[in-house]
Amino acid sequence: MALNFYRRVGFGLSPNETQPSKPLNWALNQLNSVPNFLWPGSTPTEKEIRNKLAEWVYGDRESLRKKYKNDQKAYEKAKDELRIKTGESFFELNEHAIRHYQTKNSSQPVFERFWLFWGNHFAISEKDFLPEFSTGPYQREIIRPNMTKTFQDMVQSVTTSWCMIHHLDNSQSVGPNSKSKQWNPRGTINENHARELLELHTVSPSAGYTQEDVIQLAYIMTGWSHKWSNKKLETGDVWFDQDRHQTGEKQVLGVIYKNDAKRELPKVIHDLATHPVCIKFVSTKLCRHFITDEPTEEMVRPVIDVWNKYDGNLIEIQKEVVRQAYKYKDTTFKFQVPEVWLMQLSKIFDLNIPLLPSRMNYDFKTKPSHSQRRLSWWLREIGHSPYRAKQPNGWSDFEVDWVSPELLLRRLWFSSNILPKMIKAKNYSHDFTLECLKKNFNDYDRMSLLIKNLNSDTKLKEESDMSRKYGIICNLPGVLKA
Amino acid sequence: MNCTRRNFLIGGSSTLFLSGFYPKISFANTQKKNLIIISLRGGMDGLTAVPVIGDKRLKKLRKQLILENTLKLNSDFALHPKLKIFHELWEKNKAAFVHATNIPYTGRSHFDGQNLMETGAHTPYKEKTGWLGRGLLASDILGKGLAISLPMPLLLRGVPQNNNFFPSPDFVETKLIDSIYNEFSGEHNKLIKSTLGTIKKRPLSMQVATNSYDRNKLAREAAKQLHDPNGPRVAVFELDGFDTHTAQGGADGAHAEQLEELNNIVKILYKNLGSSFDNTLILTLTEFGRTIKQNGGYGTEHGYGSAILMAGGLLKKSQVYTDWPGLKKKDLFEGRDLNSTIDARAVYNSAMSVCFNKDPEFLKREVFWDDDLPDLTQELFKV
Repeated sequence: MALNFYRRVGFGLSPNETQPSKPLNWALNQLNSVPNFLWPGSTPTEKEIRNKLAEWVYGDRESLRKKYKNDQKAYEKAKDELRIKTGESFFELNEHAIRHYQTKNSSQPVFERFWLFWGNHFAISEKDFLPEFSTGPYQREIIRPNMTKTFQDMVQSVTTSWCMIHHLDNSQSVGPNSKSKQWNPRGTINENHARELLELHTVSPSAGYTQEDVIQLAYIMTGWSHKWSNKKLETGDVWFDQDRHQTGEKQVLGVIYKNDAKRELPKVIHDLATHPVCIKFVSTKLCRHFITDEPTEEMVRPVIDVWNKYDGNLIEIQKEVVRQAYKYKDTTFKFQVPEVWLMQLSKIFDLNIPLLPSRMNYDFKTKPSHSQRRLSWWLREIGHSPYRAKQPNGWSDFEVDWVSPELLLRRLWFSSNILPKMIKAKNYSHDFTLECLKKNFNDYDRMSLLIKNLNSDTKLKEESDMSRKYGIICNLPGVLKA
Repeated sequence: MNCTRRNFLIGGSSTLFLSGFYPKISFANTQKKNLIIISLRGGMDGLTAVPVIGDKRLKKLRKQLILENTLKLNSDFALHPKLKIFHELWEKNKAAFVHATNIPYTGRSHFDGQNLMETGAHTPYKEKTGWLGRGLLASDILGKGLAISLPMPLLLRGVPQNNNFFPSPDFVETKLIDSIYNEFSGEHNKLIKSTLGTIKKRPLSMQVATNSYDRNKLAREAAKQLHDPNGPRVAVFELDGFDTHTAQGGADGAHAEQLEELNNIVKILYKNLGSSFDNTLILTLTEFGRTIKQNGGYGTEHGYGSAILMAGGLLKKSQVYTDWPGLKKKDLFEGRDLNSTIDARAVYNSAMSVCFNKDPEFLKREVFWDDDLPDLTQELFKV
């Protein structure tokens, strides 16, 4: 029995899927290419959405605030209208739908699981209007295409992306000896981005870097910023502004970087992303996400070896993680975070989630409807609105951070009160439930026993039976974990 | 104008010398004491909440944000008219204020500032735990925190097994838990099983469904839990909307509405805590104050110094505790903000010391990296 493997590295098997004869090969073959997005509805580009963000930021800050300075009520009203007009209240809902649709219908679900992993490793936390506008397209356009390249490539793209630069304030960083000090005497470096590049994205604190390393890296990064304009404010493209750049030699983790303007950053990123401590840190994190909270040396070592052998090639690295996840599938139990748990239930029981693409249309004239908002609302209620991590370190991979009375109750609430309403009418029968369970869970026998009295055929009892049935099975140990 | 620096300094820095001789014996007290922190996100304007009436400069700089009908505290300070409960408690020696205070953060980013007000650190995002969580851990108070928010606020992180309270939107049949509880066996299911056990043991008052965004209801339930001798000892509330760049208003308006929310919560806590209110401290927390001068949108920008509003029977007496920096241009931080003369973390450290029965010096070392935070327990609280 290896049924938990399909959820451990994917989202389980849907009712119309047949069980692969070679599970490991099934998984490994999904990592060679970047699958297209399947969502037939609107999928605007990062740039298009950023233009909408510009309209929103400019409209609120430069025009409404001045226009309604004496009238708070009128200001709130005008601001709400602007939310609708610029898509401020819509884009995140649409991104959740795209994401959910993809994980559910992709022919490469294993790839999609890794996509979620990398999006969280290079997390954009809840800041400014990033979740509303930018985090979704960032994950689609920056994270995803890099997943068949090298880790170094991924870090390069992420570090100079508009979203990460904005998220970690690098536009505000000014070299103390830079040219721009002349007209901006108070300007100084902002270490935020440099610190997270070290701590979260690459080498981690175990590399033993010092505060001076952080400052020196921040110097290298000075100048990488948004092109500012009166109309677009901070939403302009990322460029390298030599005038803000700290000139001179820098030294990070003992390596000297000669004064070389915009060419300094790729060099230091290469060194950080291929640093042995970075390789160990990220390999461990991958194993933690897919195998167990506390991966052992013997689980991590093969991943590190592959990383070194293939020079950071993500296809090969991810494949090795899958091999290890398979190897330990019967002896480890990995807690599934709420969003993934919801995606798995949606696929396994073929739920009516997300909303049909045709109903997700938005005219920028009226507030998004209740049904357009509901997936995002559920995600928030179960404690895992994916683009709203509180901190730049993203969502935790440790069970202990997710097991609180409130968060468990929310799962019970979702599975007993919401999920039954999302079951397609043709799938109401008890036999359907049993089919789905049999296909996906090792302890099928025990599960079916627990719900055997909840298959009443009287109409009156049906609803409460459905509610109890799904409330029970969705929260069993083998479902919360894989 | 009679407000000059140090006019109101009570006790002063002499307490620094006294701290070494602190009578350790007093920490043996085992009476349950509650500490409630209310986070005011967005930058609470201390000069709107506790306006300085002894300084005419404030009126001059804020022509469109004039406050009328303020509630007088003393010859120098008043309260915003929406903060009625604080005034009522002031008369009973159960409200006090620390003014011209802030966490040691002078940047003007909400996100960095809110991160620091919760971690208590100097560098944004560097620490992953909150000062309150570390304080509980250092005091061996496990499983006694109550967060009125979902997910767990950073402020409380660092101690395992805190209880979140944010009721589900619909009723959850807790009977369901009985059906699954025994299915969790083995070492790897221990944590989930014990957490399900916690839910099973919850009082009925915490098993209700409600509109989870009904703050008044949440406050009532929290008060009940805190009143219970075996219940939580710490609660954290979250209020946002203090970022009033526009139409901030005076007695009414955006800031007034938020202060009214705060007033409501404290009022509900006061009523429902009953006798436990005398063993309770309520303190506000914010990331920074706001600029003195109003902006073009009749609002204010992100500033520096703010105020801490306090209530509860563990306060020493009604007082405005401040080392007033003054409002002359040269006294302002970067020429635009009320300065901060008291590190707000000294107040929080002292409050934890009182509520957790721990030596302030010990907590300072365990929680705030032994930063230079004077012991204010004698000045502010009943010890």
